[in-house]
Amino acid sequence: MKINKKIINKIEGEATLKIYGDKVIEFAEIEFWQYRGIEKYLQNRHYMDALVINPRVCGICGHSHLLATAKVIENAFGIKVSKKAEILREITTGLEIIQNHIKWFYVTLYPTLIQDKSLILKSLSITSFIAKIIAVIAGQFPHNSYIIPGGVTCDLTNLDILRVKEDLKKLQEKIDKIIDKNGDSNDLKRLFEKMDKNIGKGLNRFLVLGDNLYFKPTGDLTFVKEEKTKSLSKNALYKDEFFEVGPLARNLHHPLIKSVYENYQDSVYTRIFARLYEMHLILEKILNEIDKIDMCEPSFIDYTPRNSEGKIAIEAPRGSLIHSIEISDEKIKEYNIIVPTQFNLSNSTKEKPSPAQAALIKEDIKWSDFIFKCFDVCAVCNTH
Amino acid sequence: MRSKPKLLWIDAVSCNGCSHSFFNIDLSFLDDFELLYHPLLPSGDFKIQSSDILIVEGAIKSNFLRLGFDLNELISKLFFKAKTVIALGTCAVYGGIFGEGLVFNKTSKGKFFKCKDKVINIPGCPAHPEWLFYVLNMLKENKKIVLDELNRPVEIFSYTSHMGCTRNEYFEWKVDAKRFGEKEGCLFYYFGCQGPFTHSSCNKILWNEVNSKPRAGTPCFGCTEPLFPKENLFQTETFMGIPANIPLGVSKRAYLTLSGIAKSLTNERLTKRLIKCENEDKQKDN
Repeated sequence: MKINKKIINKIEGEATLKIYGDKVIEFAEIEFWQYRGIEKYLQNRHYMDALVINPRVCGICGHSHLLATAKVIENAFGIKVSKKAEILREITTGLEIIQNHIKWFYVTLYPTLIQDKSLILKSLSITSFIAKIIAVIAGQFPHNSYIIPGGVTCDLTNLDILRVKEDLKKLQEKIDKIIDKNGDSNDLKRLFEKMDKNIGKGLNRFLVLGDNLYFKPTGDLTFVKEEKTKSLSKNALYKDEFFEVGPLARNLHHPLIKSVYENYQDSVYTRIFARLYEMHLILEKILNEIDKIDMCEPSFIDYTPRNSEGKIAIEAPRGSLIHSIEISDEKIKEYNIIVPTQFNLSNSTKEKPSPAQAALIKEDIKWSDFIFKCFDVCAVCNTH
Repeated sequence: MRSKPKLLWIDAVSCNGCSHSFFNIDLSFLDDFELLYHPLLPSGDFKIQSSDILIVEGAIKSNFLRLGFDLNELISKLFFKAKTVIALGTCAVYGGIFGEGLVFNKTSKGKFFKCKDKVINIPGCPAHPEWLFYVLNMLKENKKIVLDELNRPVEIFSYTSHMGCTRNEYFEWKVDAKRFGEKEGCLFYYFGCQGPFTHSSCNKILWNEVNSKPRAGTPCFGCTEPLFPKENLFQTETFMGIPANIPLGVSKRAYLTLSGIAKSLTNERLTKRLIKCENEDKQKDN
């Protein structure tokens, strides 16, 4: 059988895809070779340093790593934060998810089928607008560290909040032009003009572990295990099985997304639709929350560190993200990160494929790039 | 008309953060360049080729694969085929978290030190997009970019990130922030702020045009400096109560004299909260 090895780039980092088969994909292996060793780097450092180092896991979703870091330390120390701090965190991490989806759709996925430079520039003008809203609260984007155990570092005024709210409304208008509230999207239609909406079906098995924003966990993170692969990434399994995480998994309950799912199951189309439509659901949630901010609440509540362990999950742009930590004398003894790409793009066997492997098998080889990228691969995160 | 400068952008060991930072400015000016390759933006297929400007994002290290090549070999080949090299971000300049920089490895000489004359260093984790915008356009227009002894453009790096900080008045009068999450107080004495000795213009050329870390209550972590990230980033290292690192350009004795005087002359206005909430007194009593 012919084996076609290709390097997938123009994603966050790069992956190697080994495709078995001539025209139809019989089986595909997914490899990641760019290991960087963040977890080791954290050892013996002060636990607060993780708030600066972990966002550097990833340039596009580093803010989710920041939230996860603060939450895992809070979990270890048993810390609560004010409602105000919680809402601000929801706003900035929610916005990070939205900018991620826009970049993924127009900069990563679209060019695999349609080359349109003006679309890329237009989409990046929206994402830089989003980055500006985040920066009003967080100082900058990417790579701020304004979320800390006990709350947030910023102390906003009503003027800041007003400005954020006005910009969120403007953002809503911009997103309406990408996909409207009824789920109509010209750009999505254009993408599927020459493409079958039914291809790229995965395992039809979904998992949600995080509970931030409006997301509801469907599983317990203690059942997650990592296993080594042939390359430098690790597989992530839940109760020894592979599951798909991400926007489709966490929005299946939504009537519109459910109806698309009923028509096309977990195909590329449903996966893309869920991801785009999620932008509306997140925006609605944070616009609803912003009015609940009580400016008189503290941004930060002090706490006492102790020797302890923590483990938490949040929903990041690509799905469930798990951080765990062991702290002794205020220093990090162990740190472990499990990212969504490990779940969706595990590398396993033909008999027991991961979601992405299952989606690739039996499809025409010419769609391999598109199917692969519809999972929104973060190779950078994967080889943290 | 002159042809467009050929621009090749390669990612070494990185998080892609400098690329995503760069995406925050209007990229239509890139029409004046011929983009040979970028890790995310549409471009031709990657091949080893000559360029007018090579941008390296990320650190170099051994046993690392990029686009099917050994990273060190790949960077060497691209480096010697480029007219000018921009080391973009602290990883490419000094090594940062992930490895070694091109011209420097932290505070020592790096692999390409001997060829430093063709390198422009733009440190920062991430590098500020407008800094790169400036360098690219100056190169395109054939204008001279004055560099300092670490090959950084002086127009950007002769400032400290302290310059323009909204907390400057608190620094002057030595009113230290005692806790996070308040708009009052300077973060230099207790919370590890490296602003007064970090070469960067973050509080002059603001982030995303609106803000900076210290303005948002987060200390400056010195992310443009050779030893970033240092240990204990949220704490000020002190020796007998005196900060181990003092503002650039001043002697320790002068600094101590000045801060002693400032501390003794209390500025009443700065010792109170700027904006008081109605129920704040009640909260404090509880």
